[in-house]
Amino acid sequence: MTKKILLIEDDIDLQQTMAEYLSREAFDVVSAMDGQAGLEMVQPEMPDAILLDVILPKMDGFKVLEAVKSNEKTKNIPVILLTNLESMEDIQRAFEKGAMAYLVKADFRLEDVVKKLKEILKM
Amino acid sequence: MKIINDFNLKRQADELGIKVWQTPGFLFIIMGFIAVVIMTATYCISKNYDNPQVLVVSECLVVAFIFTVGTTISRSVERIASVNRMKSEFVSVASHQLRTPLSAIKWEVELFLAKFKEGLNEDQFKKIENIAKLNMKMIRLVNDLLDVARIDQNRLILKKQAFNFSKVTREMMDEIISANNSRHISFNLDIEKDLPEVMGDGEKIKLALDNITSNAFKYTTSGGHIDVRLFKKDKEVIFEVKDNGVGIPEEQIDRVFEKFFRSDNATKYQTEGTGLGLYISKNIVEQLGGRIWFQSIENVGSKFSFSLPIAKKQKN
Repeated sequence: MTKKILLIEDDIDLQQTMAEYLSREAFDVVSAMDGQAGLEMVQPEMPDAILLDVILPKMDGFKVLEAVKSNEKTKNIPVILLTNLESMEDIQRAFEKGAMAYLVKADFRLEDVVKKLKEILKM
Repeated sequence: MKIINDFNLKRQADELGIKVWQTPGFLFIIMGFIAVVIMTATYCISKNYDNPQVLVVSECLVVAFIFTVGTTISRSVERIASVNRMKSEFVSVASHQLRTPLSAIKWEVELFLAKFKEGLNEDQFKKIENIAKLNMKMIRLVNDLLDVARIDQNRLILKKQAFNFSKVTREMMDEIISANNSRHISFNLDIEKDLPEVMGDGEKIKLALDNITSNAFKYTTSGGHIDVRLFKKDKEVIFEVKDNGVGIPEEQIDRVFEKFFRSDNATKYQTEGTGLGLYISKNIVEQLGGRIWFQSIENVGSKFSFSLPIAKKQKN
C-alpha cells in the first residue's frame, strides 16, 4: 500500500523538489506551506509520517510537533524534523517533544531522507 | 618577544579595527604616565604646602584622572567586545540563510539526476556532477564558518560519549582516499588492533580527521607518500598523519592553529583553502579533552597528531 507523507515546508522550491522526489519513490505526498495549515491537515489526511520544517510562518515546527503529539488520534504518527538549525538545544528539544528523527538539510541527500523514511515506516 | 608584541600599538589597532589612541596598550601607557606625573606633583605639593586642603584636592584630582582614563579603557574594550559579538552573530545568521538555497540546489541536482540520468551523455553527466561537487564545497565552507562563529561565541556543543575511533577513522580515510584516487600519492593506513573506545563526539571528530588528512593530501606533491596511524599510548588513543609534503616555514610554525591563517607554502602550492580547518580541529579536539600538535620541516614534510582520552569502562 502506498504510504502517505505530509510535508510541511515553507520554501516553495524545497517543497516541490522534495514532493517530486518522494512521489518518484512511490510515496503519496500532501504538502502545506505553514505550520498552522500543516497541523490542520494532519487529522483529515492521517498521513503515515510527517516531514516537518522548524522555521515556519504562523506556527513553528516545535509547536506543530507538540500539537500532533498531544492529540490522542495523531500522537502515533512519526514526525521527522527536517531543518537547517542544528544546535544541540534544538535537537534535544525535538526529541523531548517526541520527534522520531532530526535531519539537517544541508547534510542529508534526498536519498538519505527516503532511506530514513523507509526505515521508520518499516518498508 | 610577547611583551613587545603586546605593545605593538599599530598592529593592535589594525587587528581590533580601532584607532591607535583607543588601543588598551596605549591607554595603559598613558595611565601609567599620568600616575607617575600625579604622584610627583602630589609629592611636590605636600612638600611645599602644609595646608591639608591642598593635599585633599590633589588626591581628588588623582582619583578623577585615573577614573577618566579607566572608563575610556573599559569603554573601548566593551566596544571591541560588542563589535566581535555582532560579527559572530552576523556570520551565524548569514550562514543559516545561505544553507537553505544551498540545500535546495543540492536536492534539485539529485532530483535532476534521478529523473534524467539515463538520457545524459558522458559530458553532460560530468558537468552536472561538477555542479553537485562545487555545491557541496560551498556547503562545507558555510558549515566551517558556522562552526567558527559557534567557537567564538562559546556555543560549540559537543557530545561526550564513548565511540569506536577505529571505525570512524577507517570510514573517513576511505572517503578521503576515494576523493584523492587520481593523485599519485602512496597512502598507508595502520590502525592498531583492539583499540579501546574513546570519549568524544564521533561526528564532529570526523571534521578533524578530514581536515588534517586532507591537508596532507593538499600539500604533498605527486610521488609523495602519506602514513596514517591510530594507536594507543598511556591513557589516550593518538591519530597521526605523516607526509613528505611541502612543510611549513619555520617562522610561521607558531601561527598554524590561528583562525584564517595560511602559510606561505599553503598559498604557493594550493590556492584553495580558508585557513579554518586546523582552527576548528584544534577547538574540537581540545574541547573534548584531547591534545593536538605537529612537527614540520619546510620541504621535508609534516606530522600532525591529535589524541582523545580513552573512555572509562562502564561498570555493570
